[in-house]
Amino acid sequence: MRSHDDIKPPSFWLRFFRWYCRAEYAEDIEGDLVERFEMRASKHGAKQAKRRFRADVLKLFRPSMIKKLEGNQKLNYYGMFKHNFKITIRSFAKYRSTFIINLLGLSTGLASALFIYLWVQAEMSMDKFHEHDEQLYQVMLNHEESGKINTKDGTQGLLAAALEEEVPEIATAIQATPTHWFGQMPLSTEDKTIKAIGKFADPAYFEMFSFPFIQGEPKTALKDKGSIVISNSLATRLFGSPEAAFGQTIKWQLLNFTDEYKVAGVFKDLPSNTTDDFEFILAFDKFRDILPPEAIHWGNYNAETYVLLAEGTDVNALNAKLKSFVKDKVEWSNVEPFVRPFSDRYLYTKYENGVQAGGRIEYIKLFTVVSVFILLIACINFINLSTAKASTRAKEIGVKKAIGAKRNSLAVQYLQEAVLMTVISVIVAIGLVILLLPQFNQITGHQIRLNFDLPLIYILIGISATTGLLAGSYPAIFLSSLKPVATLKGKLNVSFGETWIRKGLVVFQFVLSVVLISSVLVVTKQIAFIQKKNIGYNRDNLVLFANDGKIADDFNTFLLDLQNIPGVVNAGGTTHTIISGGNYTTDFHWEGENPEVQTQFGNMTVTYDFIETLGVEIKEGRSFSREFSTDTDKLILNEKAIEVMGYENPIGRKVRLWGNDMTIIGVVKDFNFSSLHEDIIPMFFKLDNVSTFNILTRIQAGNESNTLDRIAELYKTYNPEYEFAYSFLDQEFAKQYLAEQRISKLTKYFGILAIIISCLGLFGLTAFTIERRLKEISIRKVLGSNAWSIITLLNKQFSMLVLLAILIGLPISYWTTKEWLNGYAYKIELQWWFFVLAGALTLLIAWLTVSIQTFKTAKLNPAKSLRTE
Amino acid sequence: MGKNHLGEFEEIVLLTVAILHGEAYGVAIIDEMESRLNRSVSIGSLQTVLRRLEDKGYLSSEFGEATSVRGGKRKRFFSVTTAGKKVLREAKEQRMNLWNAIPEIALTD
Repeated sequence: MRSHDDIKPPSFWLRFFRWYCRAEYAEDIEGDLVERFEMRASKHGAKQAKRRFRADVLKLFRPSMIKKLEGNQKLNYYGMFKHNFKITIRSFAKYRSTFIINLLGLSTGLASALFIYLWVQAEMSMDKFHEHDEQLYQVMLNHEESGKINTKDGTQGLLAAALEEEVPEIATAIQATPTHWFGQMPLSTEDKTIKAIGKFADPAYFEMFSFPFIQGEPKTALKDKGSIVISNSLATRLFGSPEAAFGQTIKWQLLNFTDEYKVAGVFKDLPSNTTDDFEFILAFDKFRDILPPEAIHWGNYNAETYVLLAEGTDVNALNAKLKSFVKDKVEWSNVEPFVRPFSDRYLYTKYENGVQAGGRIEYIKLFTVVSVFILLIACINFINLSTAKASTRAKEIGVKKAIGAKRNSLAVQYLQEAVLMTVISVIVAIGLVILLLPQFNQITGHQIRLNFDLPLIYILIGISATTGLLAGSYPAIFLSSLKPVATLKGKLNVSFGETWIRKGLVVFQFVLSVVLISSVLVVTKQIAFIQKKNIGYNRDNLVLFANDGKIADDFNTFLLDLQNIPGVVNAGGTTHTIISGGNYTTDFHWEGENPEVQTQFGNMTVTYDFIETLGVEIKEGRSFSREFSTDTDKLILNEKAIEVMGYENPIGRKVRLWGNDMTIIGVVKDFNFSSLHEDIIPMFFKLDNVSTFNILTRIQAGNESNTLDRIAELYKTYNPEYEFAYSFLDQEFAKQYLAEQRISKLTKYFGILAIIISCLGLFGLTAFTIERRLKEISIRKVLGSNAWSIITLLNKQFSMLVLLAILIGLPISYWTTKEWLNGYAYKIELQWWFFVLAGALTLLIAWLTVSIQTFKTAKLNPAKSLRTE
Repeated sequence: MGKNHLGEFEEIVLLTVAILHGEAYGVAIIDEMESRLNRSVSIGSLQTVLRRLEDKGYLSSEFGEATSVRGGKRKRFFSVTTAGKKVLREAKEQRMNLWNAIPEIALTD
């Protein structure tokens, strides 16, 4: 048998056996295995012996032979884990302040990351709940106007039917009106009148959009022209319950159009994750009846168009095909349709020159980055504090290494410590999130709840693991590398590289803080600027309410009565909503116009006195006046329009609008009549004294509530059964910038958080440095150093770091804020002092943080620390 | 029988250990069983039963001296304990009782 010395059992299988077999059995069984192997090798040859050895090893792999997984000192890992855990808990208890700083930093960091995750989830889920979401698209139009492309969601009323008929990729196409065109419309039952937001839509509306019904059949509810579909809460307000409402008759009114409708369906109130806001829907055919027949053509944009694409449609190919769709019908058209996913209308709102250019999605990206930054800052705190604390644990490491601990088992210990820290922080963070969720919802306007569903759990595990590993990796590498002899001697030579890394991390933290502080400053300034910007008229004390009920019958008398109310400065009517944009037309032509270029004009149809009420300044010519009986064929243009037309002396010149000759009688200074995100476009005022949707009243400051009461009184004499619903223009205006306001608030909070966490780290680091230099400081004091010089000595080190961070951070801040501001048509100029202020603030905060401790140290009695060794 | 029941394989292993008296270690037991009973036995199944019998107290074991063969690993020698002897005897008696109770006629072909 000895002659077969060279034949060895397969080493892999032997190692495998040693790995799984219980230690107390291993020796003799291995002996048996080897003996059998050797015997077989001599008898049957090496090959067979090896094969059967493998079989033997595999057959031994059974529960009674395998090591126990837990509670057995034979399995080293468990014992080590237990030991590490104990050491970790003890070190937490011993260095309590470090523990608390780490806990605060990590848990607030994790909580904000979690908040941002929840917010991003909520934002991303907007409008995504529709059953046909994948196929649901909205048709947009690219208008080519004076060399630029403007993208709008208003489409021709003729488009939907034509698309459905002629484009095979489009399975269904419907048209609907956006709710902001009409605002609140009065709905009456026999005994009450309620104003509600509504829209007109084609019968297939509820097939496309999944709004569940309580009563009625979604597919057929809007088939009948005389049908109305209302929301659950509207049904309850009007009739007491959705069941009672079904089949009842509702009287509806819009200006001087009235009609009666039968309730053919009741839908559940709209969920919070939709951009739709209607409370009732009428058949689109009704709207078509109201429109003058000459308004339905390929140059009038009187609906929004939604389509369901056939399965498997290539959207790019479809869009290429749609490009000429309208131009093929009417040569003179300047619009090119394209489709975009319906659910994109919340996040991807901005178009530049016909190309998608972001929108809310930018905020989502921004905050995702912010959350990563905040987490990074918190991780850096942990890294810095643990490496700084190295000297206090050097002895422990030295002893462990001396008795044979390997480097990676020490690394595992510190990683385990970091992961445990993170797990505790995650639990605290979840608590924080639950506690602050109501406030967070208030800021964001979402209804976020913390559901512990699978994705959230994955995210939590993912965040804890990454944070733990990230925070633990450097300490693990660094601490485990310490030389046992040196540490046991008490000499901890801190290498250049190590201090460099720690300093670098502090600098990095403060770079992020500087960027965040300056961003907060710029964002706040910009939002305030938008809200206070001189928009061409005084927005204060302007009251807007709808022309409804019987007012429409006797509109002019009502306006005159309104003007006579004490406290009312002036009043006028308009079809325009003033704040959210209104009608546009390209059917405006003038002498010398370039026939190749189409220009879009804003259309503001107004009554006498409206221009005066709004307070727009007349630059040339005159306003509409009752003294001239023929003002209905006159126009007043804005400066931008004159600029586009290139007229030197516009007054008295003729233009053609909708095929009629009109005379220019005045020019107003440019003023803002839609969102401030958009540039001012050419527009005209046209006189219409019959009826307009809205009534605008300017009232005197100081006595608003009395005046409003009187207006309400007048309103009630016309419409006794209506409630008087009004809004202040400035408040409506502010609503438009709700998104920005929310973002501004969120940036502020997260910016502050980031700075607090950074400072926590700095605080811990200072405390530690001081602790280590206490003897040195005491000796300095004994030798006659005064408190001030000690403070400077200690602060200098950190000030240099923060100064460096500011130097690096400012250019980055400048660039980021400039990029952000580029998204606005009206923006503040970046001033040098924003950045100086941001830098100074950062330095001040850092100084305060450090000084709290250095001051304390400087006042210390040196004898106390020198007395003991 | 009760809780002292021996399985068939257990009984054979116990008997083989007794046969080898003093020389019973893993490979020897297997060889003995294979040659006497003409059945193949794997180390896995044998060792499981050996440890189980040791747990039950029917076997005891001790390490032998290390030698240069078998990779320098020591042998573990098993011997039957008093309890083991007792349970073997009981098993035999039970068998005998059963044999004796069989009517003559039943065994004739």
